[in-house]
Amino acid sequence: MLARALAAALAAATLAYPASAQDAYVIGVTGALTGPAAGTNGPPIEGLRLYVDRLNAAGGINGKKIQLTVLDDQGEPSKAAANAKRLLTQDNVSLLVLSSLSSTFAPVIAETRRANVALMLMGAVCPKEVYPPADLLQFCTTAYAGGYDSRATLAFIKETAKEPVRIGFAAMAIPLSRGEIDYAEEQAKAMGMTPVDKEVIPPSTADYTPFATKLKDANPNWIFSWAPWVTQVKTFEALRRLGWEGDYITWAHIEAESELARLKDGKFYVIGANSLFQDNLPIHKQIIEEAKKANIRYPAEQMTEGWIGGLVLEAVLKAGGWPADAAKIRAAMENVKVDTQGLRGGAIEWSKDNHFRTRQYYRVYRWDPAKSAVAVTKDWVAYDVK
Amino acid sequence: MQLIVNITVLAAIYALLACGYVLIYRVSRVMNMAHGELAMLGAYLLYTTASLFTDHPVGAIAAALVLSLTVGVLVYVALMRKMTGQMVLAAILTTIAIGILLRGVIVLIWSAAQQHPLQALKFSNPSIELIGGARISTCAALMVLATVAVYTALFVFLRFGRWGMRLRAAGQNPLLAAQRGINLNAIYALAWALSTLTGSIAGMLIALDSGLDQTMVVIGLKAFAPALVGGLDSLLGALVGAVIVASAEVLAIHYVDPLLSDVVPFLVLIAALIVRPWGLFGTREELDRV
Repeated sequence: MLARALAAALAAATLAYPASAQDAYVIGVTGALTGPAAGTNGPPIEGLRLYVDRLNAAGGINGKKIQLTVLDDQGEPSKAAANAKRLLTQDNVSLLVLSSLSSTFAPVIAETRRANVALMLMGAVCPKEVYPPADLLQFCTTAYAGGYDSRATLAFIKETAKEPVRIGFAAMAIPLSRGEIDYAEEQAKAMGMTPVDKEVIPPSTADYTPFATKLKDANPNWIFSWAPWVTQVKTFEALRRLGWEGDYITWAHIEAESELARLKDGKFYVIGANSLFQDNLPIHKQIIEEAKKANIRYPAEQMTEGWIGGLVLEAVLKAGGWPADAAKIRAAMENVKVDTQGLRGGAIEWSKDNHFRTRQYYRVYRWDPAKSAVAVTKDWVAYDVK
Repeated sequence: MQLIVNITVLAAIYALLACGYVLIYRVSRVMNMAHGELAMLGAYLLYTTASLFTDHPVGAIAAALVLSLTVGVLVYVALMRKMTGQMVLAAILTTIAIGILLRGVIVLIWSAAQQHPLQALKFSNPSIELIGGARISTCAALMVLATVAVYTALFVFLRFGRWGMRLRAAGQNPLLAAQRGINLNAIYALAWALSTLTGSIAGMLIALDSGLDQTMVVIGLKAFAPALVGGLDSLLGALVGAVIVASAEVLAIHYVDPLLSDVVPFLVLIAALIVRPWGLFGTREELDRV
């Protein structure tokens, strides 16, 4: 038992799956497998691994296996930079995948620029650089994306609110979360809402009540939070404990489905670009089955982001052919269209100018107390990405 | 009134975590950098026992507390014992390694997904209305009560208990204590067990109140500031340090800028170190050696 635990711990310390064979596609992954953001950023990596294992079991792509080298950066910029350097210079990966906090982006992007290797953000928020005109090396499969998310959320609030909106905001003290909430605040003003308070909460917060107290004292009837799940849900729960009874809308991260069922609050909305497993689509059933077979540590419904990443990776590698190098893979990424099979409202389509998608779809879910189940509150709404 | 409640709850969290740092430092002069991870492990143990004994919540909590004590003893016996007599720096580095190891093991066993021991125990966490319209959650109220109980028990134990006196003696002069027949290994193991237990109680209550995830490691590290402010070898100091840091943090959130909440504990720490480098209630002699 002890030997097993030590072996497991040793594996956790490195979390690397070495890529030694020359006869395979070598893909590097750096992500927050441990640390405060691991709950949001870890499962996409697990989902990608699940998909790649399935591909390899079926013979790989173009007759070649895919080798993932996965390193843990704990959501820390310095560790992410070291991981990227190692993956790009020692392991010579043809593509780097990042699933971590936005604070890790700058050093990782700098490393990919030096190595001239494409970076695929998967499970990490899409930065504006992937929108047209896109940065040459940055691509994104993740559901959430700055700017569009706030526009869709505020449009939903405006449509749903029965009285003038006094809106409060909650963000995590990380670059993109703060930036998005600042943007949302400006948008809300332009849409005739009254912003009453904005709390930017550090990741290391022991008790969310002081922040919730300030928000509650500002007397909002709606609150919008766009941050990693822990910040979103802990702020909400602290508000409810303080007796606040307003409507709360937040991003539907991978944890959202089980959390809606746990909270059972009819005024807690989640807006997202992924369909939830309660829709029970064939693709959902397939993921559940694969997750069960692989005995993964996360709930199957948290595999969506990784699975979509896998779908895109498969399409890119197929188009890149063999032998594949970083340049060929990057070129292939500039002309990709992937059917998400219902996991999203539409396809992921990349072009030379657009490394995000041509249309971004949103759906809103909440707990329906009458049905005692998670229900769609607002069906897919599309936004053209320009 | 709500501000006072918020300060009290945050101070209770910090105080309960900080006393673990003090217990180990006081006896062995080692700063346990794995304290946050041990607190998190305690919470995961509760989650596991709660899932195992679904109809016996009291049994699950008792089992988790016993397991936490055992973990503390095991950490000392298996790893820290070999550091006895070595440079303090080596021991501190060992605790850092233990922290890394525990983080990895926890992710491998339980994953990084957020867990909810409260649900597993089939408990609820309703708010209690206090005077002045202030509110406190049941788990937060329990946190405050637990802090009072733990500190009272530790004061009584260290002041009047036989093993408590031995623990103090070993901390003051290990060589002399050993010559008087005190088993230093048993004393150090006891300190690790108590430290892990108090940290675990904090971890369990935080997890019951707001869920269990990897952020607890950082919360554990933040509690290091109150311990230093109060003086690393003083339990009273840890308590006072926790109240000072929590007050500064909550007031900064409310009146200045919420972003300052991350910085304030360390600003207080720097101020305290400038005025009194050995902490408000710490022992000057020890820091002179540093």
